[in-house]
Amino acid sequence: MTSLAAPRMRFPLTVAVVALAFLAVFFLYPLSRIFSASFLDPSGVHLTLRNYAKILGSGFYQGSVINSLGIGAAATLVTTALAVPLAVAVARLPVAGKSALLSLVVLPLVLPSFVSAYALVLMLGRAGFVGQWLRDLGVPFTSIYGPGGIVAVYALTLYPYVLLPTLAGLKAIDVSVEEASQNLGASRWRAFWTVSLPLVIPSVLAGALLVFIETLENFGVPFVLAEDKPILAVEAFKLFVGETDQNPASAGVLGVLLVTLTALVLLIQRRYLGRRRFATGARRSPPVLAVRGGLRFAATLYCWTLVLASLLPFAAVVVLAFMKFRGPVLQGSFSLDNFTDLFSRSARPLGNTLMLSTIAALAAAAIGVPVGYAVTRFRSSLTTVLDVVATMPFAVAGTVLGIGLIIAFNGGFLVLTGGWLIMVLAYVVRKLPFSVRAASSILHQIDPSLEEASINLGVSPLMTFLRLTVPLMLGGIVGGMVLTFVTVSSELSSTVVLYSGQWQTLTVVMFQALEGTGAGTAVAAASLLVLITLVPLALVHRLLRRHEMSLL
Amino acid sequence: MASIGIDRVSRSFGAVRAVDDISITIADGEFFTLLGPSGCGKTTLLRMVAGFAELESGEVRFGARRIDTLPPHKRNTGMVFQNYAIFPNLTVGGNVAYGLKARGVARSEIDARVLSALRLVQLEGYDARWPHQLSGGQLQRVAIARALVIEPEVLLLDEPLSNLDAQLRVEMRGEIRELQKTLGITAIYVTHDQEEALSISDRVAVMRGGRLEQIGAPKELYRRPATPFVAAFLGTTNLLDGMVAGQQGQGTVVRLGTSAFVVPKLAAAEGAAVTFSLRPEALRPLAAGDAAPEGFATIAAELTRLEFLGALTRIEARLGNGMLLRAAFLDMPLDRMAAGDAIVFAYDPERIIVFGSSPA
Repeated sequence: MTSLAAPRMRFPLTVAVVALAFLAVFFLYPLSRIFSASFLDPSGVHLTLRNYAKILGSGFYQGSVINSLGIGAAATLVTTALAVPLAVAVARLPVAGKSALLSLVVLPLVLPSFVSAYALVLMLGRAGFVGQWLRDLGVPFTSIYGPGGIVAVYALTLYPYVLLPTLAGLKAIDVSVEEASQNLGASRWRAFWTVSLPLVIPSVLAGALLVFIETLENFGVPFVLAEDKPILAVEAFKLFVGETDQNPASAGVLGVLLVTLTALVLLIQRRYLGRRRFATGARRSPPVLAVRGGLRFAATLYCWTLVLASLLPFAAVVVLAFMKFRGPVLQGSFSLDNFTDLFSRSARPLGNTLMLSTIAALAAAAIGVPVGYAVTRFRSSLTTVLDVVATMPFAVAGTVLGIGLIIAFNGGFLVLTGGWLIMVLAYVVRKLPFSVRAASSILHQIDPSLEEASINLGVSPLMTFLRLTVPLMLGGIVGGMVLTFVTVSSELSSTVVLYSGQWQTLTVVMFQALEGTGAGTAVAAASLLVLITLVPLALVHRLLRRHEMSLL
Repeated sequence: MASIGIDRVSRSFGAVRAVDDISITIADGEFFTLLGPSGCGKTTLLRMVAGFAELESGEVRFGARRIDTLPPHKRNTGMVFQNYAIFPNLTVGGNVAYGLKARGVARSEIDARVLSALRLVQLEGYDARWPHQLSGGQLQRVAIARALVIEPEVLLLDEPLSNLDAQLRVEMRGEIRELQKTLGITAIYVTHDQEEALSISDRVAVMRGGRLEQIGAPKELYRRPATPFVAAFLGTTNLLDGMVAGQQGQGTVVRLGTSAFVVPKLAAAEGAAVTFSLRPEALRPLAAGDAAPEGFATIAAELTRLEFLGALTRIEARLGNGMLLRAAFLDMPLDRMAAGDAIVFAYDPERIIVFGSSPA
């Protein structure tokens, strides 16, 4: 009897087959359509490399690859340089207000980064009031637009990707390792530099590579700040929706390039994580160092400056939403005009955002939790394949997935374009890696012998999952659904490709306002997004803490 | 209640033969223990019976009924897990009722059976408590009640006492044994603790590297180990290698360098290599001038270490060839002795077990 046919494997195998079928239809098939579009000539029948030759021969698109990689590399370096000292300070130094700091520090992960970018434009852009003040004061200040501004926004919004794993890595080092180093004659400082810091390098690198992937995929930030500099994720979108010249072949080429790059980085990240993990199984984390006033003050100042700077743009957007705008220019008085403007056109975008996010959160949990269960609890070749495929959406930019879904479901056996379902499908596919990871991390805290005890007592594996495992996971599942909800509500990249007519969301309203001149409507929509993110998070804050849920 | 037939079962994990062609027949109502070091395959074998590990070949039967083809939830076994596996989201009563609900037992009957199961493990009145309010020993009792209340055909216990402190462990093993006898249920017990295995079992199977070393009653295993491994794993022993040097009276002389032991008569030719086991407690120190008891042989050595353990004293002595001999005594008769002193031991040759050569 092989292990595949074993009766106790029926439930996880069913889950694996259903989930793989879902991902095959709504993820792998659309991706394959992008690949084939990039290799077909205009007749759509013959294979050709001409699309690649055309794009790769163009200085403009070469530039888009170079810009994406260059900005990504710079942002990764700056982010890491900011986040590692922050992690060390939070883990080992007596920073004032640490508990509040730890609550705030994760927010940039869920708040929409393009809102941060937009806030910077409002404050420091051409008509920006802060930029104006600076110029009035004689401070030489040129422009927020371009690579510098993009890197700054990435650093301020993506640093938790490095901070959180580094912090976890530092906490996973048992105190005995440093004590052994000191016992052998190293000073505290030397012990930290020669033992603890090298031990967390894998965590730092893992986080840094995630930052790199995020920068490659990000659509909103470069869309707001890049101006005429070509960026891969943006150019793929422009080629696909171009009003005069829709070009799925060229968009496909850029999409394939982007997916290849991100998949490569993800592969390196997974390999690296898989091979080197220095968890020493901490029974006791190293103590917080008692340092003198000066260093303590400096550490506190550094941590709070960084965290507040990252949140300031979001706060600014909320404040600006209550001020008068004339076109893009800020007037000096408070009013509710922006919101009346926003809702006078239609309240639908808000309703759509809430509805689509809710459906996507429910669906992502309904698929992600059983998948997490199958890949965590049952080892077989099929669940290993599922684990890999369910992680892959992380490497696919939202614009690319959106384009693939449209090519795949614009005709033929299943037509989905023009409705809301295709948007929800994109969201579910994009959030699935997170939802699976969240489910497995909760499951790692539940001893598998509990499930075996239930099965031993006569309850079938399926009923054990529903009656025992799901109730035990419930807090974590709810927490995970809230995280999906808030991140979907600010999803821009796949939405701008997929929305149509009445299915505009708040992010689309912002996007359209960016293209036009309606700054007032844009800040109103942006502030609503910030609210939709923060309110549910505040509600489940304790739940997330209790289950030690990671946002990564 | 049922006998258990394990018939030529095997299972590999990669290149490792975790369970290698094992056959065991366990009688109805027997308390049977799987004993061995970690990684010997004992837990895998137990999990095969429960249905949590798949068989690659072989069969498992309860009575005449083959059960290895059934999914684990249809095998009607009661399993007690190493970490208790008490459902933290259910009360004590809810935990014990869990298997009865799965079987569709009527509400009123569930209540009655839960009560009597809790009475059985001396937890009467605990049904409304939550698991986090209980001690380790109490959780263990809940686990046992939960496994027994469904009236399983066999009871499976996977190192159930290893998370308890030493004193509670001794208490609980007595209780488990009493309960099993009272109910007459067939039980398979997995442990790596040889003392626990000897004290609790009708029969013990010693496992090593996925294979059976020996099956037997506790006394038989201790007194007549079939292999050096069994002799060394159960209790402490001196495993000695020597060469047959000739016959002497009722026994055979085995020479180890300059020292010689008398062992039960062997058919082996002179010069044949043999390994034998001599338990520390079979050695008695002889006071100067005393003669050895009738039928006993003697061996001279130099005392190298004396370890006082209260009621027990352990010593190590060096033989002429440099090998160390361990001995243990109750009521230490060697108060005056110190390391470096010469010492003579007397022993009954019949207490020596010889391996690798057939007795005459």
